[in-house]
Amino acid sequence: MPVSLQTVGRAWVVGDNIPSDQMVKSHRVFLPMEEIVRHVLEDAHPGFAPGVRVGDVLVAGRHFGQSSGRAIATKAIKATGVGCVVAESFARTFYRNAFEIGLPILEIPHVRECVSDGDRVSVDIVAGSLTNERTGAVIDGRPTDPFLLEMLRGGGLIPIAARLAGESS
Amino acid sequence: MKMVEKILARAGGRDRVSPGEIVVAEVDGLVMHDLSAYLTSRVYEERVGLPVRHPDRVTVVFDHTFAPATEATADVLVHDRAWARRHGLNLYDCGHGNIHHVVTHGGHAVPGSVIVGSDSHTPVYGALGAFATGIGNDSHAGMVLPYSKAWFRVPETVHVKIDGKLRPGTTVRDVALWLVGEIGEGGAVYKALQFEGAFVETLTFWDRWLLPLITIDVGAKCGLIEPDEVTERFLASLPAHRAYQPVYGDPGDVSECWSYDVSELAPQVACPPTVGNVHAVDEVAGLEITWAELGGHGGGRIEDLRLAAWVLRRAPKHPDVRFNLVPSSRQVFAQALKEGLVAELHDAGATFFPPSTGSNQAVNMGALSAGERMISTHARNFPGRNGSSKAEMYLGSALTVAASATRGRITDPRELVAGEELATVAAGGEL
Repeated sequence: MPVSLQTVGRAWVVGDNIPSDQMVKSHRVFLPMEEIVRHVLEDAHPGFAPGVRVGDVLVAGRHFGQSSGRAIATKAIKATGVGCVVAESFARTFYRNAFEIGLPILEIPHVRECVSDGDRVSVDIVAGSLTNERTGAVIDGRPTDPFLLEMLRGGGLIPIAARLAGESS
Repeated sequence: MKMVEKILARAGGRDRVSPGEIVVAEVDGLVMHDLSAYLTSRVYEERVGLPVRHPDRVTVVFDHTFAPATEATADVLVHDRAWARRHGLNLYDCGHGNIHHVVTHGGHAVPGSVIVGSDSHTPVYGALGAFATGIGNDSHAGMVLPYSKAWFRVPETVHVKIDGKLRPGTTVRDVALWLVGEIGEGGAVYKALQFEGAFVETLTFWDRWLLPLITIDVGAKCGLIEPDEVTERFLASLPAHRAYQPVYGDPGDVSECWSYDVSELAPQVACPPTVGNVHAVDEVAGLEITWAELGGHGGGRIEDLRLAAWVLRRAPKHPDVRFNLVPSSRQVFAQALKEGLVAELHDAGATFFPPSTGSNQAVNMGALSAGERMISTHARNFPGRNGSSKAEMYLGSALTVAASATRGRITDPRELVAGEELATVAAGGEL
């Protein structure tokens, strides 16, 4: 399914170094996604899972998604309906997984200096920028590699895997 | 070109590659444990459904679970087992040991090869001179299983040069923990860390293992050590291994080098809430503990068991501490039996558990109640990872863990060392 590269919604702000196994704890990985989603990031932001709406933006600090590289952490965040995750930096496995499963993300250093929890924000992944609709501030992030943008547009890795492997189209 | 660039160029069928480029490379090994095999197999069956191109390159190790404690876990293992057999994958069932130790003992990872897995400690095969990194379930399902390929961004290489000779009481584990603190969590994001220097060269294979193990914690893509006689001797000691062609970087091709000297280093402890919160042991000494454990991705080696026995010969285990020993593989347990360490440690009040990943995420064991404190050789200490988010996990060397088990509080092992020459304690035959 094609992925939208723009979103607007409420900002949910969390801290630094949040590990993937705090997004989805190990004892829940085998549960149905509807159940997993109800507990996403429950330690880091207890209000997030019950309050998040489609199109909202998760804003995080440094090294977001460190630890285990399981894609279920990104899948669970995508399943909450967030339109984008913006972080000051990402752990590389989380970064990779996000594009592979079709979760738009953007790296913006110091983003938390311009966004508070509850602000209304809009994000444009292709332009690589976030606008705080409350304050009017616009901040630019690191540009995303065209290869990864293409993967997002294609709906993730699996739909383009055969072509990428040189097998067929 | 640098070592990692040469490995990726060869695997990608190219003459040369540069950092930042995307390369689609041939994958020589995919490793999965019970949790990741389940998640990957679900994606594979539901969304891909092709035959596995090279089943002999795929290894599944049940290590998070050594014996299922719930019906749901039993269901997962039955599913994984059937899936692995249906596709003819290498399967090591419960009780074989920690995934990376089992894969290494099985000779599935070799110098110059490309190894992937979704366990984040997959970069540890860099100790053999392989390019190894953690990638996600959709990479495995979409490309690795059906085509034996994966995409990679070629990483920038940082040479991590370590020199010096350790003082008694400080071990390679302390060096590794200290490096996480020095480099910082996220301090090397996307980079390849190549460990070298006089200190690294003198280490045994299993001590070298502890260095690439920590690359994930500083955000790096992989960690590597150029193969040498130590690597070759280790591979020759295995019953079997895949054929290999080692890869070396061009001498003198260094863009960035971080240098460290470990001569004055004190034993180190990683404190909650993250692996990067590293302190010299004397800063946290005295904190009461209720559990001590040797096990996990980098613990439970024969060297660790030898150190524990050495400590318990000098001081008895504290009655209020449960001291759990989890051999990293059946080979380690067999060696410990042969050396008399099993009987000795058992008599000293420690408890042996089956070869596995032990308390990692409390899948088998190791859940903590609020207010409890554990010190272990495990690789992670995030709050809530093992039971209560109000419990605390500290990470240290086998020596610090064992010393703490004798006092019931975090203990500076140098108090027990008292001038004795420790270098020879852990050494012995390679295993």
